Amino acid sequence: MAMKFSRTFLLRKLHQVTGVVPLGIFFFVHMFTNSKAMNGEANFEKAVQEIHDIPYLLLIEIFGIFVPLLFHSVYGVIISSESRMNVLSYGYARNWLYFVQRATGIFLFVFIFFHILNFRFGLIPGMNPTPVAGHADQAFNIIQMEFRTTWVLVLYIAGVVATAWHLAYGFFLFAVDWGIVIGEKAQKATLTACVGLAVLLSAVGINAAVSFVRPCGIFPQIMCEETKKSVKPAAERF
Amino acid sequence: MSTNGHTEKKRLTDPPATVKFRIQRREKEGASAYWETFEIKYRRNLNVISALMEIRKEPVTVDGKRTTPPVWDMSCLEQVCGICTMVIDGRVRQSCSALVDDLLLASGGDTISLQPMSKFPNVRDLKVDRSQMFEHLKQVHAWIELDGSHALGPGPHVSNELAQERYALSRCMTCGCCLEACPQYGDGNYIGPQAIAQARLFNMHPVGQITKEERLDGLMGDDGITACGNAQNCVKACPMSVPLTKAIYETNRDITVDALFGWLKK
Repeated sequence: MAMKFSRTFLLRKLHQVTGVVPLGIFFFVHMFTNSKAMNGEANFEKAVQEIHDIPYLLLIEIFGIFVPLLFHSVYGVIISSESRMNVLSYGYARNWLYFVQRATGIFLFVFIFFHILNFRFGLIPGMNPTPVAGHADQAFNIIQMEFRTTWVLVLYIAGVVATAWHLAYGFFLFAVDWGIVIGEKAQKATLTACVGLAVLLSAVGINAAVSFVRPCGIFPQIMCEETKKSVKPAAERF
Repeated sequence: MSTNGHTEKKRLTDPPATVKFRIQRREKEGASAYWETFEIKYRRNLNVISALMEIRKEPVTVDGKRTTPPVWDMSCLEQVCGICTMVIDGRVRQSCSALVDDLLLASGGDTISLQPMSKFPNVRDLKVDRSQMFEHLKQVHAWIELDGSHALGPGPHVSNELAQERYALSRCMTCGCCLEACPQYGDGNYIGPQAIAQARLFNMHPVGQITKEERLDGLMGDDGITACGNAQNCVKACPMSVPLTKAIYETNRDITVDALFGWLKK
């Protein structure tokens, strides 16, 4: 069928795709890497170094993360600015979720900007001056120094929870906006799954953040191995 | 809102002697709005329209100022025509079916506030111009084309399920509640659930399906279906229980399959 797409139509669809695909994948990878801090400095810095060793890294960083992020966040703020929020008059659960998606979006716009300057570039005045990029060997210490300041740790925990929610509810929104999940029952089930995902991602993210100030994060330290050991032959394991 | 089964309405056990109505007024379109409060005697089974009729008889405010009688629209008085829709105590609904007892029980006070819907041009007092909804119906071709008035024989058979679903969508009375409650609707940047549901109604019709493309075209403009923000207030606010969100998401699927991935069929 030959149907014509308007500019708004394409931008909205692009906004939905950029949020779910590049940024969604990136957040999962990011939380996975962060979680390596549970196993101590050496493990985390090895993980950071491995990222540095990815081929075409600069191109991936620019076109896989930076450009989608810039588009998604700027257009997201435009979408939010067009909204006439009315949760006080119509306090339905879904209306609150609509509000929270925009509120977390605006918060994350500021937070992610801060986060990139703080760690990727080391450019926030009065805070960490060393960019993590290019200094994989200092990565753990840079973050640890920052997270020892309580408000910074709290801010990052807020950032990770907001991102987890925004992404998980974003999956739900993608599913309904692309006509994948239609009926009321199916939407309820999908939403429950997304809430579960948000809780899981938040827990992983918070635990990873805490791992920089306390080995193994919120878990008993017996669960984590500080020094990396080679796998023993099967016969010796028992 | 269930239409089957009778439920006894809750009533005030100790009703007040009088009820106050705080009404948002406006002389004419473009003039500035102001508030006036009126007080009438309470009686059993009073609804907002009958209260407005009382006020109209003797338009004197609580401050003793004689004023013009408030203007509002009404017709069927049984929540079928939709024209008496207004914002009552901050929420949009039909004033004919808004019982004073229910409103006072919900607010716990003795004053009921009345405002015109905010998403439509305010003609005067509580009266709005809702013609934009008609424009939206034209935009989505919310009708079925016929070749002529000659006999076409019996129409195509449809399943009972389809007929039921279409009936639910056909209950729309174009009242505007969904648009008033929608946080995305306003300033012409979103066509709104009402027109999307009607596009769906005619897209589900075996003959209407032939011109489905035209209807979807009307929903892919800058004010189209992608402006939906999924707050889902529309379906909650709808007095006729029209499955508005389902219509939106089914149309989303049509657009994804036919328009977005249509090129894969070529």
